[in-house]
Amino acid sequence: MAFLDITSVSKSYGAQTVLENVNLLIEKGEFVVFLGPSGCGKSTLLRMISGLETITSGTISIEGQVVNDIEPAARGTAMVFQSYALYPHMTIFQNVSFGLRMARKPREMIAKAVGQAAAILKLDRLMDRKPGQLSGGQKQRVAIGRAIVREPRAFLFDEPLSNLDAELRVQMRAELMDLHRRLGTTMIYVTHDQVEAMTLADKMVVMSGGRVQQAGPPLQLYDDPDNRFVAGFVGSPKMNFLPAQVVASEAGRLRLSGIGGSGQADLPLDVPGLQGAVELGLRPQHLHLVAPGEAPAGLVLEGRVVMVEELGSESFVHLDLADGTRITLRAGREADLAPSVLRVAADLRHALIFGPDGLRIRGRDGRAA
Amino acid sequence: MNAVTAGVTPWTVAKWMLALAIAVVALFPIWWMINVVFALPGEPVSLNPRLWPTSLSAGFDKIHMIFAETGYLRAYAISLLYAVLTIAGVLLFGSLAAFEFSLFDFPGRKALFAVVMLSLMVPTAVTVIPTYLLTARIGWLNSMQGLVVPGLASAFGLFMLVQFMRAIPKDMIEAARLDGASHFQIYWHVALPLCRNAMVTLAILTFMQTWGNYMWPLIVATKPEMYTVGQVVGLFNSPLSHHTVDTVMTANLLAAIPPLLFFLIFQRKIVEGIAMSGSKG
Repeated sequence: MAFLDITSVSKSYGAQTVLENVNLLIEKGEFVVFLGPSGCGKSTLLRMISGLETITSGTISIEGQVVNDIEPAARGTAMVFQSYALYPHMTIFQNVSFGLRMARKPREMIAKAVGQAAAILKLDRLMDRKPGQLSGGQKQRVAIGRAIVREPRAFLFDEPLSNLDAELRVQMRAELMDLHRRLGTTMIYVTHDQVEAMTLADKMVVMSGGRVQQAGPPLQLYDDPDNRFVAGFVGSPKMNFLPAQVVASEAGRLRLSGIGGSGQADLPLDVPGLQGAVELGLRPQHLHLVAPGEAPAGLVLEGRVVMVEELGSESFVHLDLADGTRITLRAGREADLAPSVLRVAADLRHALIFGPDGLRIRGRDGRAA
Repeated sequence: MNAVTAGVTPWTVAKWMLALAIAVVALFPIWWMINVVFALPGEPVSLNPRLWPTSLSAGFDKIHMIFAETGYLRAYAISLLYAVLTIAGVLLFGSLAAFEFSLFDFPGRKALFAVVMLSLMVPTAVTVIPTYLLTARIGWLNSMQGLVVPGLASAFGLFMLVQFMRAIPKDMIEAARLDGASHFQIYWHVALPLCRNAMVTLAILTFMQTWGNYMWPLIVATKPEMYTVGQVVGLFNSPLSHHTVDTVMTANLLAAIPPLLFFLIFQRKIVEGIAMSGSKG
């Protein structure tokens, strides 16, 4: 039995459907990240798990118990909000102990629980202050402290690091990973930042348009996406998509033409009967600059340099191909980026094929291509 | 040009002149009242008037006479009780209603709120007779509840508190819900402390309004033992009273002292509160 079981869950506000037939299993102790662009329904799903949002249809069960009609506070989940949602008129101690005080727990028990949370989060010296006197990172720690003292079955994080600056975000990310390791509690985390998702998640759930697009370990989603959306959303810089025409698909080979204008490719992919337009997906690191005079086999593209992003150890070069498609590739520092037109060779072992419906086209033998 | 006069322009001078002129117009009646009370009878209005008090003892004699020989002390007690009970009620009912209207959604919320706001536009004179008839039918004439109860639900108070409570982030209410706080606990521990400033402002404004309310007590409490300060002062001023100007002024001064003190102590809160209710809406 999974720890959290989301079955056929939908949510609509009047005629507008926000979530459609979501099915998801989360195991105990997992760090799960819901990833997707704004408005994809990820926060709504989190709020439905917490009980702050009603469920239009379907069921959510925690440890085998259907919680659809159970009050938020009785579900055993604790939530950390993007805005921290600390009570500004209370001291940090009062903030952290609020839930226990409302439950009329004995004074000694409250002091002990708050003390433990404070020690874990290094909040000891801030207990008498008000939230207004704290920095963003400290406030977020207090918000997490408030969640910890309730000893929840699952922590729910709603974009908790979005209001922090970049440096603090990296630091808090490390602290969250450490916290998860120490507490071992299930954590469900919502973000639109795919770097955050990749670094934190045991399981990543990519969402778009109110549907789960794919769920699995971060690297699996990165290497083996089910559709164009997941391929494009996971990974930075994002994957290049090149329009192509199927010339022939037979005897375990797929031959494409018209890639980025006139490029041709021959892939070991067994999809008999495939024809028409497809898209070829290639990540920036699977494209290499071709030195002048060199003539590599396979797919070679030529493009005009539009922009070069220098990152120090490497550069990302943006090129416009003959058919107007813009691609990005990674180049080392030694690369000569002076010419205005560059030739690029693709490593087709890593190429992915997507159909016109955006779904990944896999070989009949299940081989990735 | 030295540092002190560096920033002074004709415009600043004009602004200060205007402010001073307004201050004089506002303060002179109060000063005149003090002047008349603390002077020998007839002196300030003689052919050779004085603009400053001349006899403290004469003033205290008049105050003593009013407290000793009229029902003024009793009226003071009635007025204070009337004000305190009204404030308590307005704050309680106003904040409870504002909590629901501003932070929760329920069927008919907008329509109900619109009706309450519309009532702000109905002049008191229009509602006085029906309210009187209702109060009379319940048998509350000449009673404290007759004075207080009709003023407990204040549309203005609701409007002001709703403006404040709307500024409370929804996340905070939800966090409290997840922390296991009941509906009333959220109101008591989260919403109420967060609009403390608004509550103080509303309390002050309600005090001013209740203390100065003349019409309703005049209608509903006609027996002398239920007279408020306003009515007693009214008696002093009535055409057939035999009081001299200085006794009438003493009664007026005594009536004006509580709101004056209130205003002097809380003026900063009043201004802050009114400014906030405007900018946050």
